[in-house]
Amino acid sequence: MKTNLWKLLAVLVILTIAVPGLAGCQPKEEPTEAPAVEPTEPPAEPEPTEPPTEPPAEPPAEAEPVTLRIGTTYIWDTANPTFGWYNYTLRYLLYDTLVEEVGISNFVPGLAESWTVSDDGLVWTLKIREGVTFHDGTPCTAEDVAWSLNSTTENEIETFAFYLVNFAEIVALDDTTLEVTLSDPVGNMEYLLMYVWILPRSVWEGMTYDEIMEFEDLSAGIGTGPYKLVEWVEGEYLILEANKDYWRTTPVIDRVVWQEFATEDAAVQALIAGEIDVIAADTIPTTAVQPLEDAENIEVAIMESTTVDELIINSHENGTQPESLWDPAVRLAIAYAIDKQQIVNVAYLGYAEPATVIVPRSLGDWHNSDIEDVPFDPSEGARILEEAGYVDSDGDGVREDKDGNPLEYRLYATDTASNARILEIISDGLAQVGISAPPTLMDEDSLIGLYPDFDFDLIYWGWGLDPDPDFSMLIFTCDQREEGGWSDSGYCDEEFEEMYVEQGITVDHEARRQLIWNMQEQLFEDRPYIMLTYAKNIQAYRSDRFTGFGLEAGDILWKSAFLKAKPVQ
Amino acid sequence: MRRGNYILRKAAFAALTLIAVMIFNFVLFRILPGDPVKLIIHSPRMTREAQERIRASFGLDKPVWLDRERLRDGDVLGAFDSQFTAYVRNLLRGDLGISFATRQDVSELLRERAWRTVVLVIGGDVLAVVLGMTVGLIAAWRRGTRLDTAILLWGLFSWALPTFFLGIILLILARGRLPVGGMVTPGLRPEDGLTYWANVGKHLILPTITMAIVYTGEYILIMRSGVMEVLAEDYILTAKAKGLSTARILRDHALKNAMLPMVTMIALTFGYTVGGAIQVETVFSWPGIGRLMYEAVQKRDYPVLQGSFVLLAVSVILANLLADLLYTVLDPRVQAE
Repeated sequence: MKTNLWKLLAVLVILTIAVPGLAGCQPKEEPTEAPAVEPTEPPAEPEPTEPPTEPPAEPPAEAEPVTLRIGTTYIWDTANPTFGWYNYTLRYLLYDTLVEEVGISNFVPGLAESWTVSDDGLVWTLKIREGVTFHDGTPCTAEDVAWSLNSTTENEIETFAFYLVNFAEIVALDDTTLEVTLSDPVGNMEYLLMYVWILPRSVWEGMTYDEIMEFEDLSAGIGTGPYKLVEWVEGEYLILEANKDYWRTTPVIDRVVWQEFATEDAAVQALIAGEIDVIAADTIPTTAVQPLEDAENIEVAIMESTTVDELIINSHENGTQPESLWDPAVRLAIAYAIDKQQIVNVAYLGYAEPATVIVPRSLGDWHNSDIEDVPFDPSEGARILEEAGYVDSDGDGVREDKDGNPLEYRLYATDTASNARILEIISDGLAQVGISAPPTLMDEDSLIGLYPDFDFDLIYWGWGLDPDPDFSMLIFTCDQREEGGWSDSGYCDEEFEEMYVEQGITVDHEARRQLIWNMQEQLFEDRPYIMLTYAKNIQAYRSDRFTGFGLEAGDILWKSAFLKAKPVQ
Repeated sequence: MRRGNYILRKAAFAALTLIAVMIFNFVLFRILPGDPVKLIIHSPRMTREAQERIRASFGLDKPVWLDRERLRDGDVLGAFDSQFTAYVRNLLRGDLGISFATRQDVSELLRERAWRTVVLVIGGDVLAVVLGMTVGLIAAWRRGTRLDTAILLWGLFSWALPTFFLGIILLILARGRLPVGGMVTPGLRPEDGLTYWANVGKHLILPTITMAIVYTGEYILIMRSGVMEVLAEDYILTAKAKGLSTARILRDHALKNAMLPMVTMIALTFGYTVGGAIQVETVFSWPGIGRLMYEAVQKRDYPVLQGSFVLLAVSVILANLLADLLYTVLDPRVQAE
């Protein structure tokens, strides 16, 4: 009887699975099967059977347009760049900035060909590129650039006005010269300018703040960049078309399609099936890397990123953490107790590296490479605690301080599967040195809700940092502890504060680097954070369709990397 | 008269439920931890004034229930200028607010997405109902046989099958033959006519089948037990004794009476599937209400979530009401209770 049941069950499973298989046979006549079998026929996708929907701008004699299809889990929130926070990679294909980033923290001239600064560091003179036009054909002279920057400041454009807070006056001296007067010198002018998109007067002039914030027309996408925004269907796809008049080069990829998938797995499947050509950044789960590397005609690109993970130690003087957490010996012992390499292996499957300081290695010489990390050595951690007077007097495996309070800490993280494993590793390590920190997972809102009152001891958290070290340091300044600030450790130190202000106005790169290095050293010793990992960015593309993507920017779709890509002949 | 009473009572109950849901829906999003403005404002360096301006643009500068200060000053009417009254007022006008993430009108967003979910749900449900009823009827008629055991097992198995798991398996199996996700191949527009609709149809196959398989189990089980119950009744024996054919007994006597629980089930399923499509829509990237909600949760887009909840509540309550009304048509005894 029992075996019969099992047989029946097996039949049913097959039946249940076979039904869609049969259905799948129906549309076989269509050429959809081709890509998997014959990769030599490049655009053998559903598209060619459909008539081109764009107006026939080119004579029909011309070759089939080269289309690159990108898979992502979220295209963007809005075409309006003044409040759109998602997908800067895509936005940079539409707009230009005065300075561009070609690799992490590697800046080159953009719409500004060159620039000079006065000796006091206050007056910057920028030479604006000649003959550049917006997608709608209107010219982009120094006058237009000045208008765009001024209007950004006046309307307090949410997404990038704060990069210009120090800009006291912006004027065009003639068609190609822009003069910027600052209220204080800045040490990271290039970085500030690479975030400020130059928008056309033809679209935005005369709008009130409210009108700007409600503007939803696709013409919000008009810039001077290599691609024009053609169509966007929310939740589904977005289409870009090459700007043949782009000043730097003529894009070889004529059409770019961004397609939205609800899950990362679906995007990965679509790449394997050949429905898309590239997967956007932050979309490939580490568990999918191996299957993608094994798949045919797929190239996996593993690149540097600015994503860092850390263990936050509550350092706010009004926080609810136990007294013992202030003791440098305890903090050092915690550092000895964390097995970073295991976190890399378990949570990132090896696609990350152990971290030392807040500024990741990908930021080049801003990263303090002199600092030698505390190794994973629980017995040394235990020795330090023993020496500092924390002894386990009642034999329960948890040490107590002089007053008899046990070293018990609250350890939190957001509730994801990989965080559960990471907390387990941290908690196990701490137990080995005699600290009790049972892992607690909670949803993101509840966790963020703890920050204003600094009602926690240890939190596992991460950042996607800016290419300039300013932000990495800003999060440790006293002002940021106010409501709405970025500080999550509650750290506040006078000496650090002074160095932060100083680096902000130091124009000389070497002098500023030295300050940034000193600040990292201080943070390393005070330990408001114990840095855990620097993550890699993983992307993948169809190597039978495209080649040549640049890897240096940490995103193969980043403007400079993308423009290098070519279709495979 | 009695029937009128019954309908009136049911309708009043539905209306009350709806009001309770609306209030709960408002409270729910106010007791969640965290400041919603934080979710809108991404920049730490934004000035206080700019933050206030955004707060005001979403109506979050007003007090939640009642403006006590204005009430104390004797401005009774003004005191009711709160987030709650604004919520009720807007709801009555069909205005569900603006999305935090996209600043689009939520009602419009929902309207745009709703029909896609409806198409998916109706397709999957109709398939499931037809298949489930037929198979369930066969099982009941041949009860005790191997065929019945097989059908019962199939029913239990597909009922217990997690939707997303089944979806992912189907997706991987059909990869290369059917599109992995989305509603239409990018670039095609409704103006393209048949090509467009054929393409949409192709994208619909997998999610519809997934929905159908998952719901079939439920219908099989209910149909089977319903018919079996009826078949044990005396009047079936009478019918048999009269020499009626099997088909006739099943159609005219058993099926009609077994339809009662089925109708409830179908109506309820239609109500729930608008929300229940979340998993299917998420696996297959189908841009309907379910996926909108999934994304809204991820982006903490409260107005969109709030609006979706209203829509879900309305559809469930209406489906319930519909089931109640259908009852009176199918079974005259119902009004008598």
